[in-house]
Amino acid sequence: MAAVRPAPATPFYLPGRAYDDMFAASGAVRAHYRQLRGRMTALSADELADRQRTLEQSFLLQGITFTVYGAGEATERIIPTDLFPRIIPAGEWAQIERGLTQRLRALNAFLADVYGEQKILTDGMVPRELILGAPSYRREMQGVYVPYDAYVNVSGADLIRGEDGGFFVLEDNLRVPSGVSYMLANRDAAKRTFPEIFRSARVRPVERYPDLLLTALKSLAPEWRPDPQIVVLTPGVFNSAYYEHAYLARLMGVPLVEGRDLVVHDNMVHMRTTTGLRVVDVIYRRVDDDFIDPLTFRRDSILGAAGLFNAYRAGNVVIANAPGTGVADDKAVYAYVPDIIHYYLGEDPILPNVKTFLCRNPSELSHVLANLDKMVVKAVGASGGYGMLVGPHATIGERKAFAEKLKSDPANYIGQPTIHLSTAPCLVEGQIEPRHVDLRPFLLAGSKITVVPGALTRVALQRGSLVVNSSQGGGSKDTWVLAASGPKP
Amino acid sequence: MMLARVADSLYWIGRYIERAEHHSRLCDVMLSAALDQNDAAVSVARRAASALVDIDATLGPEAIMAAAQSLILDRRNERSVVASLARARENARQVRDQISTETWERLNLLYLRVVSPNAERTFLRGPAAFLHSIIADLHHFNGAVDATMSHGQGWRFLLLGVHLERAQLIARLLNVCYGEQSMAAPLEDHMTQVAVLRMACALEPYLRVYTAEIDPRHLLQFLLFDEEFPRSVRFCVKRMEEHLTSLAQPGATADRNRPERLAARLSGRLEFADMEETLAPGALLSGVAQECSAIHHAVIETFVSYPLEQRLQA
Repeated sequence: MAAVRPAPATPFYLPGRAYDDMFAASGAVRAHYRQLRGRMTALSADELADRQRTLEQSFLLQGITFTVYGAGEATERIIPTDLFPRIIPAGEWAQIERGLTQRLRALNAFLADVYGEQKILTDGMVPRELILGAPSYRREMQGVYVPYDAYVNVSGADLIRGEDGGFFVLEDNLRVPSGVSYMLANRDAAKRTFPEIFRSARVRPVERYPDLLLTALKSLAPEWRPDPQIVVLTPGVFNSAYYEHAYLARLMGVPLVEGRDLVVHDNMVHMRTTTGLRVVDVIYRRVDDDFIDPLTFRRDSILGAAGLFNAYRAGNVVIANAPGTGVADDKAVYAYVPDIIHYYLGEDPILPNVKTFLCRNPSELSHVLANLDKMVVKAVGASGGYGMLVGPHATIGERKAFAEKLKSDPANYIGQPTIHLSTAPCLVEGQIEPRHVDLRPFLLAGSKITVVPGALTRVALQRGSLVVNSSQGGGSKDTWVLAASGPKP
Repeated sequence: MMLARVADSLYWIGRYIERAEHHSRLCDVMLSAALDQNDAAVSVARRAASALVDIDATLGPEAIMAAAQSLILDRRNERSVVASLARARENARQVRDQISTETWERLNLLYLRVVSPNAERTFLRGPAAFLHSIIADLHHFNGAVDATMSHGQGWRFLLLGVHLERAQLIARLLNVCYGEQSMAAPLEDHMTQVAVLRMACALEPYLRVYTAEIDPRHLLQFLLFDEEFPRSVRFCVKRMEEHLTSLAQPGATADRNRPERLAARLSGRLEFADMEETLAPGALLSGVAQECSAIHHAVIETFVSYPLEQRLQA
């Protein structure tokens, strides 16, 4: 076992160009990290390794795993979880909370408009063909009643820190975002790993998430259904996020259903129980738009229920999130979000966007092509870190090949300057080292919008890597949001 | 309220768990008997094996050892202990929201242990200890089921599976040893009968009732009709009947009561059986097997894959 470099007076590492959560550029420890740093120094390498092992064991035991296919047999792995929590002081959180609430209000207003009168398109603020031509635009949603105009009920925006430490929104994730179970499981583990500092740090609780989610879902049910039946719809046990679906259903105390459990009759949705059929009022679906109803969307889908969408249009069931929300988190529409906030709320965005070049516009395309070595280029429709080019990390050959793809289908791509994601201290093979991280807080919207005071911090575990997706070798860590009246350092 | 699919999974968890336990016990007897090498022991091992799979009646000790090993660790063998545990766990994963965390963790831990790369080495180092710990872990699981799950519908479906599987397995074991299908003359020597009782986990309870004078009639009486021993066929059927009575709602149509009626009929048949039947138990034992199979189909048709048009008003 390699020893941790114990250097009480000096930092474990010197921050590079990126902003570091624990160390200021001078090497001084930021005030809100002092206690944690004290524990890092006090614990021996063996003790740290021991706590890391206990943590991994508990994840495996609980079955918090995702399935990796290939090499003949499917194997289950845990998502690597880092021992050290990431700490966000109250002041920074207040800005995130206000910024995300503002953004979600505007995006829900935007969706209500797009699937209603389309004023923003008529006014020319957002190009009509960008919206109506997007694969994620669902014509079937035109004119459908959505309670409180809350099209997006559950979302998880991806935030990153720029080099000066300020937060940017990178993605809105308005479709079926996952990761909230990791936030909860990480918290559970972190409490047991660092009980000494957890108590005194005054960390705001995230444990009420299932309860808040249930309240939000219940608020969507029609008023004439006094005791609405809520269900979670999962694609099934082979889905990589299945653990989360079962986890949320269990903690909310509602049934976890699959498409084959649902039956639509007379435009009413039922589930098959041992004693017959029972009406379902609200479906928290973790199945993509394409698959929820083979009669309306993809005909080869076996994950949804035939006739579900008609029952929805008739107002007999609520689907959360509403179908068609993807049109607002399209990577090209992303560039217009600051304008969308102005348009509907008349406010300046509290959280800025990352500068985005739309390759559909010829002048912006030539800028992206000329600066390909400095940019991150993403396919508009893709997610999960697929179909993207990280310019500074690509070879000349890769950049050349990508440039060809870009030129042949420019409308499918956007470019953003490469941002050196901030870093946070992580335990990597017995050493404390900085790794790049992002931040995914979770929002709920029913009759009102709630930002849960916590987040999933995703970690790019490979040294220097900027890709945090779990499908690409990323891990996660707990995120502590401190209460406003926390102890002075 | 319980989803039909969930009831189905819970029922199968019960069946696979019971199967894994019974197979572990029989494999243990097979392995130790094959080690002894004497004729009586090998004949016991052969009977144990034939209670699990259709085997060649002339199998030698090595072949029996190999069969036992495959019945324990070979995942491709669908009757193996590991395959049963994997299926139980897969079903549990599908209803993870419906079973208690304590129950899930017991099963998951056991599963992770038997599929780990070390499992084969641990097994070869001490097969008896390996099997013993699987059985102990399964008891631990059953304890968690009893102590941490609500004793409602879900629990009843799980236990219905346990008891139905157990009744079938014990009936099959007795049939192989004493029924018409038995390969040789009925087993009468002391050591062999002790082995049969061990396979049913019944040795100590039997001794307390009938003392060490073991004879086939008493043995059959005990394993078929004893009211208190949890592995007697009658005991299992009685529990099935209780669970099915509770699961069939009052005022239900005749159709919904079918599994309950079948179980009650079998239960009555066992309760009022003529003790003379133990002299030629073949008919009774195959009757039990057939009735259990009929109950299984009735349960699935009534609670899981019922025709929709009959149930639109729930």
